Amino acid sequence: MAEAVRSIERARPSERRILTWLAYRNRGYYVLGYLVLLALALWTLFPVYWQLATSLRADVDLFSPTVTLLPRVLTGEHYDKILGPSYPFLRQLRNSAVVAAATTAISTLLGAMAGYALTRLRFAGRTILARLLVYAYLAPGTILFIPIFVMMSRLGLRDNLVGLTLAYLTFTVPFATWMLMGYFRTVPIELEEAALIDGASRWQVLWRIMVPLSGPALVVAAVFAFTLSWNEFLYALVLLQKQEVMTAPVGLSAYVIGDQYYWGQMMAAATIMSLPPLVVYLFGQRWVIAGWTAGAVKD
Amino acid sequence: MVVLRQAERTVASPGVRTSRLGRDFWLGYALTLPAVLVVVGLVAYPLGYAFWLSLQDIKVGGQGQFIGFGNYARLLFDSQSRIYGLFWNSVKVTALYTGGALAGKFVIGMVSALILNAQIRARHFWRTLLFVPWAIPAVVSAFTWKWIYNDVNGVLNTFFTNLGLVERPILFLADPRIALWSVLVAAIWQGAPFWTMTFLAGLQAIPRELYEAAAIDGATPLQQYFRITLPLLTPVITVTVMLSAIWTSNAIQYVYILTNGGPANVTETFPLLAYHEGMTAYDLGIASAIPLVFFPVFAILIYFLTRRMLRQEG
Repeated sequence: MAEAVRSIERARPSERRILTWLAYRNRGYYVLGYLVLLALALWTLFPVYWQLATSLRADVDLFSPTVTLLPRVLTGEHYDKILGPSYPFLRQLRNSAVVAAATTAISTLLGAMAGYALTRLRFAGRTILARLLVYAYLAPGTILFIPIFVMMSRLGLRDNLVGLTLAYLTFTVPFATWMLMGYFRTVPIELEEAALIDGASRWQVLWRIMVPLSGPALVVAAVFAFTLSWNEFLYALVLLQKQEVMTAPVGLSAYVIGDQYYWGQMMAAATIMSLPPLVVYLFGQRWVIAGWTAGAVKD
Repeated sequence: MVVLRQAERTVASPGVRTSRLGRDFWLGYALTLPAVLVVVGLVAYPLGYAFWLSLQDIKVGGQGQFIGFGNYARLLFDSQSRIYGLFWNSVKVTALYTGGALAGKFVIGMVSALILNAQIRARHFWRTLLFVPWAIPAVVSAFTWKWIYNDVNGVLNTFFTNLGLVERPILFLADPRIALWSVLVAAIWQGAPFWTMTFLAGLQAIPRELYEAAAIDGATPLQQYFRITLPLLTPVITVTVMLSAIWTSNAIQYVYILTNGGPANVTETFPLLAYHEGMTAYDLGIASAIPLVFFPVFAILIYFLTRRMLRQEG
């Protein structure tokens, strides 16, 4: 508002009338804007809140004919049950973590290597390879899941976390490469040239100069690979049928026995599953948002 | 910000500058080999393999028999076969679902981005908050919505019944007339933040002077939006729509968890139909053919997207 007042004071008398009118009109837009913002915040937060509130409610409260915004009886029993020895959930969380960690490490490493080569080195077929990677990133998983299912069956990698990790590399490696290419291009080339003149090898330049300089970008690539593989559902659903190798998302959908839903326990499991990507997002959001838009909006 | 940086980069360095020092040839291949192996072995090869499977009559665990385009003929033209009706229904449902989701995400994303781009207090806080659904696993939010929609104890029905608005619970996921809408609301909730983010990045790249000049010339905010904002955002909108069209039409979590394609197949999009044919009817030939029928559409989208995404590759 202060800015607007200043610009009104600077303006010529004829313009001043219009600007004052606009500033006054803007008040209305302000109120409307905040109201809409409040509505958007409610719409965004309600499901998240409801999930959390449900996970802390006693069953008595859950299945009562009246609804209260706040739980009447707070309880940790659903968490106790779901994390207890009678449920495979803890093991499935571990499976998710193992697959996400492996996928993240491999795709960040391969992405850094390929991204560097495709932005800095001259070799035949460079542009074709870059193009191929973008095609691969955009290729929908629904076309690939049946052949990958058959391939993994033949290789004996169904119901196996190695097979699932391989399937996840189909979308994390192209994405990491693509994102890091965009970042490496912004790093001034003079540093590398100086190092090369001083007798460093290309390999040393990559690991001693590029990687240290690209810390934030590598973090973003890693965060994305982690989030994508932690949340992935289709490949996990198709490739994992045994309860003890399932990842948490598939495990959650397998809890439904017949028509029996234990909503308290399901929402407790859901809340626990949401935490890792949420924490990662909240801590790395500045970079994540930058990377997110860099990946999508190239204009 | 990012977009601005991108723009500067494009101006400052047309194409990629590669150093002319050293022999890059072998190292280039060595460094790209692992990533290329992944792409060729796990994307390109399966794609070809999917096509090969789609030309066979093949069941899970059985031997395949080559039948040429028999599966495609059954899907597209054989009105006697069971799959024909299911397939064309999935085409219709996918179109409705994708169109509805894109429209909803566009509106919410645009409104959110415009507000977050205005001079509101605590912008950072609001931005973080509105972006939360993106970080929540889709499976998780699908189950949360399933619980919200529950006919006996779901919060919506309990709330409406207590207020006396409805006599009998609304069957959000079991009534064929509204099931698709219920699924759409959940999908829009999850997908809108991505649109908010890309639109916001686009808005921040528009020079403020344009609006100041327009305001002095007496343009109303609506005129400013339609004459300045929308035209300048068009490239960003195009990319977002194309990306989201690919992702949304191929997403399976919401339809699988909320309704599993029911009631009466009104929410059976093509990925779910392919999943059911392959994993519950064990017909791998048909299951491979279904997504491949849509492949030309995706290929066109991917072609245009790639052209935009690689514009600065030189």
